[in-house]
Amino acid sequence: MVRHPHPPVTGRPTALRRLARRWSAPLPAPPGALRRGPLRPDGFPSRLRSTRLTSQLGVALGVAFAVCFLTGLLSHLIQHPPGWFRWPARPVGLYRFTQGLHVATGLATVPLLGAKLWSVYHHLFRWPPIRSIAHAVERASVAVLVAAALFQVVGGILNIARWYGPMPFFFTAGHYWVGWLAVGALLVHIGVQLPAVRGALGRSVVESSQERLSRRGLLGGVAAAAGLITLTTVGQTVRPLSGLAVLAPRRPDVGPQGLPVNKTAHRAGVRALAQDPAYRLVVTGPGGRTDLDLAALRALPQHTAELPIACVEGWSATGRWTGVRLRDLVALVGVDPDRATVLVESLETAGRYRTSTVGPAHVADPLTLIALRLGGEPLHPDHGYPARLIAPNRPGVLQTKWVGRLTVRESS
Amino acid sequence: MRTRAALVAVGTLLIGYAVVGALADPDLRPTGVLLFLAGVLAGHDLVWMAVLLAVGALLARWVPERHRPVVRVGVISAATVTVVAVPLVLGFGRPPDDPSVLPLPYGRHLAIVLLLIAGATLLTCWAADRRRSRRPAPAAPGGRPPRSALHRPGGEPLGQEALPEGVHDHHGDADQQ
Repeated sequence: MVRHPHPPVTGRPTALRRLARRWSAPLPAPPGALRRGPLRPDGFPSRLRSTRLTSQLGVALGVAFAVCFLTGLLSHLIQHPPGWFRWPARPVGLYRFTQGLHVATGLATVPLLGAKLWSVYHHLFRWPPIRSIAHAVERASVAVLVAAALFQVVGGILNIARWYGPMPFFFTAGHYWVGWLAVGALLVHIGVQLPAVRGALGRSVVESSQERLSRRGLLGGVAAAAGLITLTTVGQTVRPLSGLAVLAPRRPDVGPQGLPVNKTAHRAGVRALAQDPAYRLVVTGPGGRTDLDLAALRALPQHTAELPIACVEGWSATGRWTGVRLRDLVALVGVDPDRATVLVESLETAGRYRTSTVGPAHVADPLTLIALRLGGEPLHPDHGYPARLIAPNRPGVLQTKWVGRLTVRESS
Repeated sequence: MRTRAALVAVGTLLIGYAVVGALADPDLRPTGVLLFLAGVLAGHDLVWMAVLLAVGALLARWVPERHRPVVRVGVISAATVTVVAVPLVLGFGRPPDDPSVLPLPYGRHLAIVLLLIAGATLLTCWAADRRRSRRPAPAAPGGRPPRSALHRPGGEPLGQEALPEGVHDHHGDADQQ
């Protein structure tokens, strides 16, 4: 028996067409008796909700997400630089600015995201819940967007409060990949909603004066809340506002020697090693190896630099650091300091940030120090005694503390 | 149409990149990420929104219509600072050996900020009432109409139309916040 007497020459387009038809074909509606509670037609009669309000909140939220994504991506690239990426040593406080902006924008997003989700909450109870396969996919993509957006904002808040218990994953990696997920889902959402947004923001929209007042009042409330949360937290990096930072997880002047600490010597397990009189800073390079004890380090030319510790968590604080220029130590092992890369290793035996690489721009910079003193005093153990790296325009996690070894190589 | 298709295509590619990248990252447990994604979604849509709608219903029940916009601003601000401050107040992230982490009395600070928000909201409502009571009644010769009537062609008070009696009080603005 021949089932297909004619070979399917046009089989592919037909299959595609059939697929497309099935994709948007209406699905049977569920029984009307299930339309209860929030699913009933008048479940959400608030006159405050409107497509125009949602669109305006959406545009603002889109801008906030773009700022967070770009500054976050930048921070990731600085910490995990691919071959093509170069991060300059100047301006000194650029990373302090971009990461401060990342966290401040994330916090200001809280009321925006809350209001945006409130304004579309009734769509969750649309009837029928699913009209077609295409509709189901669109709803699933919205669920991905909402989950990813909440993941980023809630996770970020928990991270700056350093409360990792509720997050069953490594925060940094999760925040990074879900950032891509959020931006992808956001672009899909904009693509789907563009006509509705254009229509709602157009001039021809009819809106009663009461609706306009309510909408503007709500937008004003969101702006006020964003302003308030900024005012009570941003002082953790903007020093003149530190007095107002009553809800900031850090104060720029609280900590040993007037500077906050992220990882103590005790937690790093280096207390004994750092205090050991047998301590030597080992500098190796193609031209040989030099072992320097503290007296030898202090005998080298000392330089002082005002540089910030700028944490990925959004706080920053400036210190007056004194020590040996990294470029001087590089020259000791016979490498041109203007063409060198240095691997800095801590005395820590383990830990994600035990080592960091200092690229040519930072090695060459005269402000990059192996610091021995902070504010004129020997470094506090929690600030990296006996010696720590401090360089301009660099995330705090890469300012390696308790430095035990420098491995110098010539850059190609 | 081309712009929309491009946005959807690029967005889908980025979602794919995120999924593949997360699965390939040795530092990441995808089940943990999925669990947290589902947790925040369910927590927001089922718990947080229910609380918010309940607060909205209380406002609609107890706050006079004329004061609702101001009270709404206060509630949004209070909710925002509370969301950000609760992990600080609980202080589970404070390590015993590092006093520079979460160094402030956040419970007291949150209470003060919430009181200030409440005070500012009450003051604004009170000032609005005072202004309103000083103004002559709309029928008085030469007087200006009360503020609530200014933006309505018929001069009818806000929010008393459109919905049948009962629906407005109990459901009408139940989800305003």
